[in-house]
Amino acid sequence: MARAPVEGPEQLFHFAEAAASARVAPASEPPRAVAEPVETVLITGIAGGQGRLIARRIAGARCRIIGVDRAPWEGHPADVRMYVVDIRKRKFEDVFRTERPDAVVHHAFVRHFRGDPEVRHEVNVLGTKRLLEYAIAHGVKRMVVLSSAYVYGALPDNPYYMDEEFPLNVSRTYPEVRDLAEVDTLATAFLWRHPEVATAILRPVNTLGYYVQSAIGRYLRQRYVPTILGFNPVMQFIHEEDVAEAVALALQTGAHGVFNVAGPGAVPLKVAIRETARTAVPIPETIARAVFRQLFRFGLYPTPPGAMDFLKYPCTIDGRGFERATGFKPLFSLEDIFASVRH
Amino acid sequence: MSATETVTQAVGALTRTATEVLPETIFDLQRQIEARIRRIPTRLNAYGYDPWGFHPDTARRAMLVTALLYRYWFRVETQGIANIPPGRVLLISNHAGQIALDAAMISCACLLEAEPPRVIRGMGEYWLPTVPWVNELMVRTGSVVGTRKNCIDLLENEEAVIAFPEGVRGMNKLIWERYQLQEFGQGFMRLALETHTPIVPIAVVGSEEQAPAIANVRSLARLLRLPAFPVTLTWPLLGPLGLVPLPVKYRITFGEPMTFEGNPSDEDEVIGEKVEQVKASIATMLARGLAARRSLFW
Repeated sequence: MARAPVEGPEQLFHFAEAAASARVAPASEPPRAVAEPVETVLITGIAGGQGRLIARRIAGARCRIIGVDRAPWEGHPADVRMYVVDIRKRKFEDVFRTERPDAVVHHAFVRHFRGDPEVRHEVNVLGTKRLLEYAIAHGVKRMVVLSSAYVYGALPDNPYYMDEEFPLNVSRTYPEVRDLAEVDTLATAFLWRHPEVATAILRPVNTLGYYVQSAIGRYLRQRYVPTILGFNPVMQFIHEEDVAEAVALALQTGAHGVFNVAGPGAVPLKVAIRETARTAVPIPETIARAVFRQLFRFGLYPTPPGAMDFLKYPCTIDGRGFERATGFKPLFSLEDIFASVRH
Repeated sequence: MSATETVTQAVGALTRTATEVLPETIFDLQRQIEARIRRIPTRLNAYGYDPWGFHPDTARRAMLVTALLYRYWFRVETQGIANIPPGRVLLISNHAGQIALDAAMISCACLLEAEPPRVIRGMGEYWLPTVPWVNELMVRTGSVVGTRKNCIDLLENEEAVIAFPEGVRGMNKLIWERYQLQEFGQGFMRLALETHTPIVPIAVVGSEEQAPAIANVRSLARLLRLPAFPVTLTWPLLGPLGLVPLPVKYRITFGEPMTFEGNPSDEDEVIGEKVEQVKASIATMLARGLAARRSLFW
C-alpha cells in the first residue's frame, strides 16, 4: 500500500469546518441512522494517503478511531489506536474481538502492480472476504467500502454518466484489475445479504490530491505524459478530501447501497494534462501497446497495457444517487484539483 | 493594348477579386457563427466544455466548413424552423445520401437560423468512438454515442437531439428508392414517451440525390466491416474525388411539434401506431416539397 507523508492538520480541520457549513441537508428521505454519542470506527488501510485523510476527517469527540494497516503510521494522532497487522492474517480478527468496532471503513486495497500479483489478489479479495465475515461475527452496524469507478471499465460504447445499475465491465479489456471488480461484487452481495448492516459501497472517480497515491496521480505527475494519438476522452476528477468527506457522510447518514461518487465535473484528458502543467506525448496506439507491454513485462513501467483503454474511452459516472442519499456536494473545484498536483 | 496585356489584366483583376471577396465571405461567416454559438443555451464548465464533452471553440471551426457547404454548395433553404420549441426536443428526419450530410445541414440550420440558436446533439454509431480523431471531433461538436442513457440524460438536460429512425436502411438506399421512407425504428418513440419530449418531424429534400447509388456491394462491405459499400456514379470510379456530393439544392422543412402520451414500455403495435404518425407527417412534407420542386439543382 502506498505511503505519503501527512503534515500539520490545519488545512484539514479548516476543510472540515467549511464542509459543515456548506453541507446541504438531504431534501427527501431522512437519514436511516444517526451517529451515536461515542462510537468506534475501524479503518483498514489507514496508513496510506487517503486512509490518513479519512481518519482525520472522521476523528473527533464522537469517534474513537482504530487503524489497521500492514505498514505503521509514524506520528499518528494520539486518538488513533494503530494495529500493524495484515488483513489476511488471524491477528486481524483479534482487532475485532478486542475493539468491537461499531463501524468499519474498508480501504485496504493494493491498486498498483509493483508487487507480486498473487499477493495483490489475496489482499484485495481474500482480505475483503475475511473482513466481511468478521464484521458479521462481531456485530458491526455500519460499513463503508471504498471501491472505485474504474470497475465499470472504459469501453467505446459507454454512455457518459453510467449509473450504479451499469455492469462492471472492466475485466473485458483490463483483466489485471478484475480483483477490484470482484471486491466490489463481494461487498454488493454482502450489502443485500445483510440488510441489518448499513453498508455503503462508494465508487469515486479519478482521485487527485497532495497525499493520495493513485494511478491517475502517478500518471499526471510524469513530466511527459503518454497519450494515445487521436484519442482524448472526457474524464471526471475528484479531490482526495472530497473522497474523505464522502466516506464521512456515508458513515454519518448510514447510507445503504452502492453509490457513484462524482466530482465537480469533467474535462478531456488533454485539458487535465495542460492544467497540471505537463506535456502530452501522443503515441500511435499500436506502438504504445507493443512498447508498454514489454516495459510492463520487464518491470520497467508499473502499469499494464490494459489501462490504455482509459486513455481512449470515457469511464464517466452519474453521481446523483449519492447526492440524493446524503446531500454530498464536492467542495473542491476542478481548478483546485489540478492545482493540487501541479507542483 | 495587346491581347496578352488584356488577358493578364483580366486575370489579375479576377485573382484580386477572388482573394478579397472570398476571405471576406469566410471571415463574415466565421463571425456570424461565433456570435450565434455564444447564444446557445448550453451550460459550460470553467474550461469551456459541457458535461458531454461539447466544446464550442472546436465546434465553431468545424461549423465553418459545414456552413460553407450549407450556404454555397447546397444553398439550403429552410421552412418552419420556428417550430422547434425551446427546451427538450427530438428531431426526427428522413435519412439518405450515403454520407450523413443531411445531419450536418440540419444542425447548421439550427445554429444559423433558429431563435435562439441550438446545438443539435447527434446519436452516433457504436463504432465511431473507436476511430482516431473522428471520436474527438464527434464529441466536441456535440454528438455522443447513441445509447439510451445518453439520450435520456441529454433530453432531461433540455437539449435538442436528432435521430434518424431509418438508420443505415435509409442512408444507403439506391437511387430508384429515393424518397421512399424505409422502416422506422421504435426506440425514439419510447424515449420521447419516457421523457415527455415533443417530436419535430423534418423532411429533407435534395439529400436523396446528392450521391446517386446504383448498387450496394454487400460482400465488400462485410469484408471492410462497413455498414454498406455503395457504388455511385462517381464512387469508387473517381477515387476519393468521387466522394464529393452533387451540388443539389437542399430544402429542409420543419413540421409542427407532435406530442405523444402513453406508456413507454407498451407493446410494439401500440408504439408502432405512434411511430406511423410521425412517418406519415414526414412523408406528407416530402411529397409537398417534391411537388413544389422545379429542378434538382436550384
